[in-house]
Amino acid sequence: MKDRRFLGLLALVSLLLPVLVTAQAQRAEPPSVPVAPRQPTVLLDGAVLPAPVTLAPTGPLFGLAALVNNLGGTLEADEAGESFTLTIEGKDVVIGVGSAIITVGDNIVSLSQPPTRGEGTLLVPLDFLQKTYGDLAGFAFEWRPGVQQLIISRRAAREIPVLLDVVHLQGMTTVVLQFPEAPRYQVLRQPGQVDVQMMGDRLAPPPAPPVVTDPLVQGVTISPEQVRIQLAAGAQASSYVLENPFRIVFDVHLPAQAPAPVAPGPAAPEQAPGVRTIVLDPGHGGSESGAIGPSGVQEKELTLTIARELEGRLESHLGVRVVLTRNEDATLPLDARTAIANQNKADLFISLHLNSSLGAGAHGAETYFLSAEASDANAARMAEAENTPEPALPEGTAGLEAQDLELILWDLAQTHHLLESQRFAAMIQGELNQTLQLRDRGVKQAPFRVLNGAAMPAVLVEVGFISNPDEEKKLQDAAYRAELVGSLTRAIGRYKALVENRPEPPQAGQPAQPAQPAPAQPSPGPAGATRPPQPRSPGRR
Amino acid sequence: MNRRAAAFILGLALALLAGGALWWWLQGRDSGGSEGGPAAIDAKPAPVPFELWVPDGIGLRVERRELQVTSAPKDRIRRIAETLLAPRPDGVRLFPEGVALAGIQLSKEGTAYVNLVWDGHEDPPPSGSTEELQRVYSLVNSITTNVPEARRVALLWNGLQRTTFAGHLDTSRPLVPLASLRTR
Repeated sequence: MKDRRFLGLLALVSLLLPVLVTAQAQRAEPPSVPVAPRQPTVLLDGAVLPAPVTLAPTGPLFGLAALVNNLGGTLEADEAGESFTLTIEGKDVVIGVGSAIITVGDNIVSLSQPPTRGEGTLLVPLDFLQKTYGDLAGFAFEWRPGVQQLIISRRAAREIPVLLDVVHLQGMTTVVLQFPEAPRYQVLRQPGQVDVQMMGDRLAPPPAPPVVTDPLVQGVTISPEQVRIQLAAGAQASSYVLENPFRIVFDVHLPAQAPAPVAPGPAAPEQAPGVRTIVLDPGHGGSESGAIGPSGVQEKELTLTIARELEGRLESHLGVRVVLTRNEDATLPLDARTAIANQNKADLFISLHLNSSLGAGAHGAETYFLSAEASDANAARMAEAENTPEPALPEGTAGLEAQDLELILWDLAQTHHLLESQRFAAMIQGELNQTLQLRDRGVKQAPFRVLNGAAMPAVLVEVGFISNPDEEKKLQDAAYRAELVGSLTRAIGRYKALVENRPEPPQAGQPAQPAQPAPAQPSPGPAGATRPPQPRSPGRR
Repeated sequence: MNRRAAAFILGLALALLAGGALWWWLQGRDSGGSEGGPAAIDAKPAPVPFELWVPDGIGLRVERRELQVTSAPKDRIRRIAETLLAPRPDGVRLFPEGVALAGIQLSKEGTAYVNLVWDGHEDPPPSGSTEELQRVYSLVNSITTNVPEARRVALLWNGLQRTTFAGHLDTSRPLVPLASLRTR
């Protein structure tokens, strides 16, 4: 009897157990109360915007075109409609449909989900808006899932104190603007002055107006809207940013060969800025062929031919001294090329190259100047090496640390000429586009080794794509090369006139124009570029 | 049914319950571990979407690809590099045929060392600057934007960190990503 009762109890438990488990699971689920579906909306300062919203499983997506219409900026699609460029406050945001990676200026930004197409427009996730309009234009975005609303508001302007420090040492003045937190700002350059203009934030100037007595900086004025740095005649300012605390640093100096004025008064004629010596660097040579064209033409041959032709033209037309880094088919290390320029106290360094691409159909000219990323990464690695043991390298690996110290010194030398290099590069690119009717592939920055060590304005010119059969053929034609050499000569002549403060010779097909305004600030390096914690010696600040 | 049979059935039921509970606990520990810190690495490859920077005529474009990877950063770097070195569906190769991945290393400081080899060739393939930029930054951008542990990439050729790969770029030091190469 007892056995039967026991077995009965066991059977009852077995039957009830699944029922109890199911009931428990159901308790965990929220009660299904019928709720009328809400229409997702976008509100800007309380007003509804006609921006479509899609509720994807991974999060809400918002129609970008309508937001651009209301928040500002421009949105352009490429021909295929696969890539979009959004421009906000002068910065380009490149968006690929279906890609969770966007580029914001020089920064690469990962999104929680990729922008996609839908509702007849480009749809973007919330973090896209926060990392573009939020960071660049000062908007705040809040998604309220309960009411399915995106609330957009303009961030209140912060009032940020600023401290000023001006130090002059060894012919260069360093101006440091220190902030307790990073402001939203842009640097605007005009002849003779640099403005750090606030974008949405306001500055709290120091109680007493700064008094600056410096041979290269005439004065600094601080208002709630901006900091204005007045430069002495002929002085240039390059800038970079330091963190912890946030600082914007300007190195103010005179162009190469113009010594810092130690006392007021006109400079002696022989000390005036000018372009007297130019070093031309025919790319590659010897065992290094460079790019090879479809018909077998080697880059090293054509660069030498063009350099020789340009040498003759520059000497006869501009009356300058020209030095070639190589005048024969010889292997020459990259560092030796800039060493030749430095030893000859060159005023310009021009490395001549022919391009190739992995994609078919690439054509046109490009002009590069140095991206400071290279020197930053180098200095950062040195700083890192001082504090940490060397990482384990793969078998057979050998480092090159022995060269690093001297490279840092040379790297800093070119950093001081970035603005001039950019200005010169823009002139070359403009002439090449104008004269040769080439596709404008623009002035670019890259960490090119051959530009690292140049202690003068330095550019690398890719005069055409040897990998393109048409351009390969043209580059072998002496008449075409004469046009090419002519446009390079005109660009150098215009830059020479600018440096020597003379009226510029006219650009090809254009009347003479006044001196160009200073170019936009060159980027110190791409996003995430590792910066040294303190690249200057402590004694300088 | 006697008492012994009943006890046997009860024991069997309890053993099954205990076994089930143990299995459930082990399952939970495995899935929780893959979300943990670097000490807990899921050794089982799983499909993961990656954003690869691939050559696009005048620069690089970002292409979404799903790769079978574990959660180990080195494995992810290896798979990214191998995928980029393989021929693309359109026939374009990042490097000439024969260039292969010889090793990956990742330092604690966030430098990924990618060692490439090419049998019978002492030097990397010659090229123009755009081609060199495409080759080098396809690897650098793809690795640094997909593997958070890798903040910069040092490219090695036959185990050596060279001054330059093709006469333009400075590859003697670790490189950080270059956003401006993205085509638009």
